Amino acid sequence: MRYVIVGGGISGVSACEVIRKRDPKGEIILVDEEEHPLYSRVLLGAYLTEKIPREKIFLKTEKWYEEQKIEWLRGMRVTALDSKNQCIALSDGREIPYDKLLITTGCQPRFLDQDLRGVSYLRTLDDADHLLQLLHEQGREAKALIYGGGFIACEYLWTFTHDEIPTTILFRGPWFWSQVLDEKSGRMISTWLKKKGVRVVPSAFVEALIGEETFEGVKTNQGVLEGTVLGVGIGTIPELHWMQEAGVKTHEGVCVNASMETNVPGVYASGDIVEFEDPLFERSLVARTWTNAILQGRIAGANMTGGTEYFKTVSAFSMSILGLDAIFIGDTSRDAAEQIVVEGTEETGMVQRFMREGRIVGATLVGRSQNRAFLTKAILELMKL
Amino acid sequence: MPRITIKVDKDLCIGAASCVTVAPETFRLNDENKAYVLDHGQEPGGPTYERTIEVSEEEKENILLSAQSCPTLAVSIFDEAGEQIYPA
Repeated sequence: MRYVIVGGGISGVSACEVIRKRDPKGEIILVDEEEHPLYSRVLLGAYLTEKIPREKIFLKTEKWYEEQKIEWLRGMRVTALDSKNQCIALSDGREIPYDKLLITTGCQPRFLDQDLRGVSYLRTLDDADHLLQLLHEQGREAKALIYGGGFIACEYLWTFTHDEIPTTILFRGPWFWSQVLDEKSGRMISTWLKKKGVRVVPSAFVEALIGEETFEGVKTNQGVLEGTVLGVGIGTIPELHWMQEAGVKTHEGVCVNASMETNVPGVYASGDIVEFEDPLFERSLVARTWTNAILQGRIAGANMTGGTEYFKTVSAFSMSILGLDAIFIGDTSRDAAEQIVVEGTEETGMVQRFMREGRIVGATLVGRSQNRAFLTKAILELMKL
Repeated sequence: MPRITIKVDKDLCIGAASCVTVAPETFRLNDENKAYVLDHGQEPGGPTYERTIEVSEEEKENILLSAQSCPTLAVSIFDEAGEQIYPA
């Protein structure tokens, strides 16, 4: 049996571990865009703020791939899938046949149209190394701009304030994470950021970057903002073209059922790239979290080796906005909710409950972590709150 | 039955709750959104970030899996002799 895993992140590697355990003799080929052994992207922030040294972010050694008899094709991408003949084409021109295929290629950052030296994205270890290099070069001259109001913006906030760099954050929405958070939660975050010395510019759209080769600032709908470094975190998108061309069903990601199977026999997908059928909420969800990537990868690995496992969990997403905790639990789609109940004050913290058919399906907590366990349980049991 | 010591580094914990999802009998989140350690769902002696507990081989395997699922490597596991089993 030949298993081909496309994507060497946590989901793909978790799948490899399960496959190797259940099929000691099967052939495993791992196609990995990265050159590095598996590392934790979640730890990039800790590395940038010198909480941990660089070597501590690695989760696997190079030797591990050998020991597990995984043929690790690093620095390689898939360019095409032929699902009829069960074979993939690689960026070096090779074609590899498979018996079972797992797609776990994750997402790419949304890029700005322009690029200049001083513009940073934060997805990979190489991105983090690049940012450290920039900050080192700029030293005391550094002046930071952050574009975006989500998880990656949080990482930039920690990094720049750790280095005591004057920081301005611009979001396209009226407040932080405005696609999910209500106005009061959003204002609470803005107040908090200002208290931490960060300049906040809401409803700002970057129209152009300023500078010849080196970044000098941004032109926005609210005027020009100067800076030496720009951290961009305006969302991520999955690259779906080679799957679509092969007839794999996609929507916001690769569509899978709770067994992580796509519509094409023998082809599975897991992690950030998927939109999965959630048996709990009875609808398709996109929930790009580390925990989901691991669990889905493990389930895919089990099912590729003849298992019958299903993904059923209440997804949760947690971030620290310079010390203010924001947590999203379950299905927090504003569009899918029939009713959203907002409670709390800036002093006590804010809670939103997302309701459907009278039952709670999701919640957000800002500065109110103590309600997390109770709300998670309530969502899992779809309680009428 | 093996005895293992489980430690959570609260400075590294970001409340991703992978450990709680994989081993809910061993980990719970506190009001600070940090994971702390339980003994089979109980908290003898009160909440703590470090605890030595007796577990079956199967439970040990699952607790190791929960530690491995932590995105910030905040969970460490030690065997009876005090040797660190994870992160290796």
